[in-house]
Amino acid sequence: MVSDLGALGSQFFVGLSRAMILFVVCSGLSFVLGVLRVPNIAHGSLYMIGAFSAYSITKLVAGPAGFWLALILAPLVVALVSLVAERALFCHLYQREHLMLLLFTFALSLILGDLVKIVWGAEYKSIMAPDVFNGSVSLLGASIPRYNFFLLVVGPLVAVALWLFTNKTKMGKIARAAAVDREMVGAVGINVSWVFAFAFVLGCFLAGLGGALVAPTVSITLGMDHNLIIEAFLIVTIGGLGNMWGAMVGSLIFGLTQAFGVLFWPQFAIVFPYMAVVIVLIWRPRGMLKSVW
Amino acid sequence: MQKSNLNLKVLWLLVVILVLLILFPAFLPRFYTYILAVIFVTALLAMSLNMVVGHGGLFQFHHGVFYGVGAYAFALMLTKTGLPMWLCFILSPLVAAAVGFLIGWFCVRLTSLYFGMLQISLGSLIWAIAFRWYDLTHGDDGIHGVPIPDWASSTSGAYYFILFFLVLCLIAMYIIHRSPFGMTLQAIRDNPARCSAVGINVRRHQIMAIVIATFFAGVAGVLFVVLEKSVFPDLLFWVLSLEIFIMCLLGGWFTFAGPIVGAAITVALRTFVGIYTEYWTLILGVLLILLIFFLPEGAMGFFVQKFEKSRDKEAALAREQHAES
Amino acid sequence: MSKSRFSRTVLFGLVVTLSLMLLPALSEARDIKVGIIDCYSGPAAVYGNDALNGFKLALEEINKKGVLGGKIVFTTRDTKFKVDIGLNMAKELVMRENVDVLVGTINSGVALAVSDAVSKQEKIPFIVWISKDEKITGADGHRYVFSTADNTAQGGKAGGVGLAKKPYKKYWIAGDDYSYGHAIADSAWRNLKALKPDVEKVGESWWKIGEPDLVPYFTSIMAAKPDAVILCTGGASMTNAMKALKSTGMAAKIPSWIHTAIDHAVLKPLGAEAPEGVLGTIQYLFYYPETPENKAFVQAFEKAYGNPPGFPAFNAYLTAHYIADGFRKAGKIDKEKFVDALEGLKVKNPVGGTVEMRACDHQAVFPMYFGVTKKLPNYDFVVASDITTLKGLDVLPTCEEIKQSRKK
Repeated sequence: MVSDLGALGSQFFVGLSRAMILFVVCSGLSFVLGVLRVPNIAHGSLYMIGAFSAYSITKLVAGPAGFWLALILAPLVVALVSLVAERALFCHLYQREHLMLLLFTFALSLILGDLVKIVWGAEYKSIMAPDVFNGSVSLLGASIPRYNFFLLVVGPLVAVALWLFTNKTKMGKIARAAAVDREMVGAVGINVSWVFAFAFVLGCFLAGLGGALVAPTVSITLGMDHNLIIEAFLIVTIGGLGNMWGAMVGSLIFGLTQAFGVLFWPQFAIVFPYMAVVIVLIWRPRGMLKSVW
Repeated sequence: MQKSNLNLKVLWLLVVILVLLILFPAFLPRFYTYILAVIFVTALLAMSLNMVVGHGGLFQFHHGVFYGVGAYAFALMLTKTGLPMWLCFILSPLVAAAVGFLIGWFCVRLTSLYFGMLQISLGSLIWAIAFRWYDLTHGDDGIHGVPIPDWASSTSGAYYFILFFLVLCLIAMYIIHRSPFGMTLQAIRDNPARCSAVGINVRRHQIMAIVIATFFAGVAGVLFVVLEKSVFPDLLFWVLSLEIFIMCLLGGWFTFAGPIVGAAITVALRTFVGIYTEYWTLILGVLLILLIFFLPEGAMGFFVQKFEKSRDKEAALAREQHAES
Repeated sequence: MSKSRFSRTVLFGLVVTLSLMLLPALSEARDIKVGIIDCYSGPAAVYGNDALNGFKLALEEINKKGVLGGKIVFTTRDTKFKVDIGLNMAKELVMRENVDVLVGTINSGVALAVSDAVSKQEKIPFIVWISKDEKITGADGHRYVFSTADNTAQGGKAGGVGLAKKPYKKYWIAGDDYSYGHAIADSAWRNLKALKPDVEKVGESWWKIGEPDLVPYFTSIMAAKPDAVILCTGGASMTNAMKALKSTGMAAKIPSWIHTAIDHAVLKPLGAEAPEGVLGTIQYLFYYPETPENKAFVQAFEKAYGNPPGFPAFNAYLTAHYIADGFRKAGKIDKEKFVDALEGLKVKNPVGGTVEMRACDHQAVFPMYFGVTKKLPNYDFVVASDITTLKGLDVLPTCEEIKQSRKK
């Protein structure tokens, strides 16, 4: 009996930690979707660049310092890449049809995908979390790997930081306003193009952070972008378009469905995310939480 | 008077193109005949998608499912039942349309991105079934060597078979596009609120459009099997759906024939650039960006714009002449 | 006839005759064209590249002597792991490039599709070099398709034979949810059960290929407490599995067997952090057996490409030699004669000895190694140790079984 509860507990916390990584990535996607009203297909590629950059940084700086440095620098690298893409190309398209913006993000994902192959090559890469993360931690009778526990702490931190940012800082408030009514924001004299740039770069920063956080737990390989992108879109949709807390709800649904599904029905794990979405959208056709548009 | 002159020009152009296409296999090497057939199938698929996306304004993100269902239905019927080919040919698109109706019925309750995401999820469930039900579908090994009769099985035989049905379907699609139903659909795309205010049953029209579009997608699936004699789960996977969506955008989604151009460019690029480099996706990405900046109306839209400009010019000229006389 | 006309006719006739005489000579001494379809994008690319490198290394030696007066040349096409692109590319190689032999790939779906639609239809020899689906030379095999790769029947049997020697009774089966995963599981389980009837399957888990987060799967398997786990995974998914095995502590508690666990492409990025005690089978290891031939092969490969060869390079090296020796034996660049020549042909094995292309199913016969991962002081990555060698013919299905499966 005790071991059963322990098993359930383990699954719960493990699912929660997976949800935290999904949240970090999806909050960025949701933010871009909310402000720019465009699904960023290149989001997965930026996540992949975050993981690869984390790899390169840990190769340059050995030991635990390399890992922590990677967590800070990799998202900045991704933010820089997205800033370049945005200022050079994307910003000229803001007046265009929405579907053209979608086409742009698709083209960008193709280009970034091949660029990663050119820069880093095809071999599998792997980085290890610092030794402090070795072993398991006991939480309420359940045992989970230490790194997953770390993710349980980081996730809410990112959520709180994001919330503070969008609600308490000027830039954040303007971005939220632009998500709801961009014409009004332009009418009061604010340069909407810069707001978009900011939102896009922040969203991509979060994608890069997600990539860096996930890097010690997976093989860093080409094709990581495709694996993630469909899940990210589904999460953002069931959470409520553009809603950050919605991204949290969606990520929790995905992470926990996966963790518990695996316990009870492990042969059919490939259908869990899709089943979750079908159930949510049939019950709540506009997503769980209010969407921004 | 002017309008019918220009329409005649377009008609002549189409006839010339058709004659050329019919003559191609006689003097083109086999591979080009094959690639043209691939383009035909892809073009039909993209056109069927555009019926609901470009003309209907729906976010049909997983159209590939209906293509795959049509293909699998045809392959399964041919390999597992003794039904004659012409019967399988008629039944398979109907199966695709039935699935389209079922999925469409659930999806039209939702709007914009939600429609698309629900469709991706429902479609992916179908993909998962095909992927896992090994005894029926052979999973990701796929079903190969589907028995196609010899006259449709050779490179040029398949080419003519596919060309024939492509032309038939395009004519049907054009008639639907210009019919009152098609016009209503476009009106719904532009302003659904106003349409329902005038008493139009928006949902019913959208479901009808989905059923028609998925029927044609099923036909494309059948033609794919005739060409390649294989089916595999990739046909049901969301990546393919995204690719056809992009073809519609590339070609110009609000023109009638835009998706054909988009499909042709994509297939030609990946085949012929793929001969020289494995980085053809990079080149496709760059090409798309160039297109977005220099041809914002899509490839086809560019030609349509030019066409309309020249038509306006001629009309203006005619008016001048009329005024002078 | 006028004089000038007569002389023109004679001249024309002479030219034609001479050309006709020279043409066969020219066509005899032409290069042999090999068309390679493989995956050079995404997570499978590391294997495609390895195979290509092994092929190129073999060709360097072969082209020094040449084959039938010419060289072997090749051209590659990237299938991007998609079956429809694979079919397009294969047809392009056959219809436009007019290759003499088709070679490739890693995706079993592509291999099966090309085997049927291109190889069988166009009667062109197709040598599969990484795809492991047993149907390729089994139930769906035919005159024109060959394989230098190991297949799931072989790998599973090797695993079953190795595991039958261990005391484990309760097994959990888990892996990548696609035909490779299930085929390996079926083959391993079938063979294990036949050799050790008291084994019991306590559960199964299947995750999508490339699933990044295997921790919840492993924690739930650990909760069920099986004696051992049969893990049916490979490539990038296997690296994820290795990492999760370590982080959940499962590697230390429950032994697992993975076909290709001792694949260097997976162990190398993990460095010294790969889990120890994982059982694995594979057909090529660059550090075993330590024959002079293997050492020379590895040295040449490392010099040319900067890293040691993996099993795809081994398979591709064999393929190159089959092509060269096959055409030499056939005597001319004729596809039918080449196919006949390949049956029963023995070529040089890079680790020593020869490898025979079995005539009944066109499968190359080589031994399998069964070992366990261990950290040894002279390497900075984990390697296989306690290696036992299983003879090729002991782990392949018999010719009789193949004949039966093709009848259905």
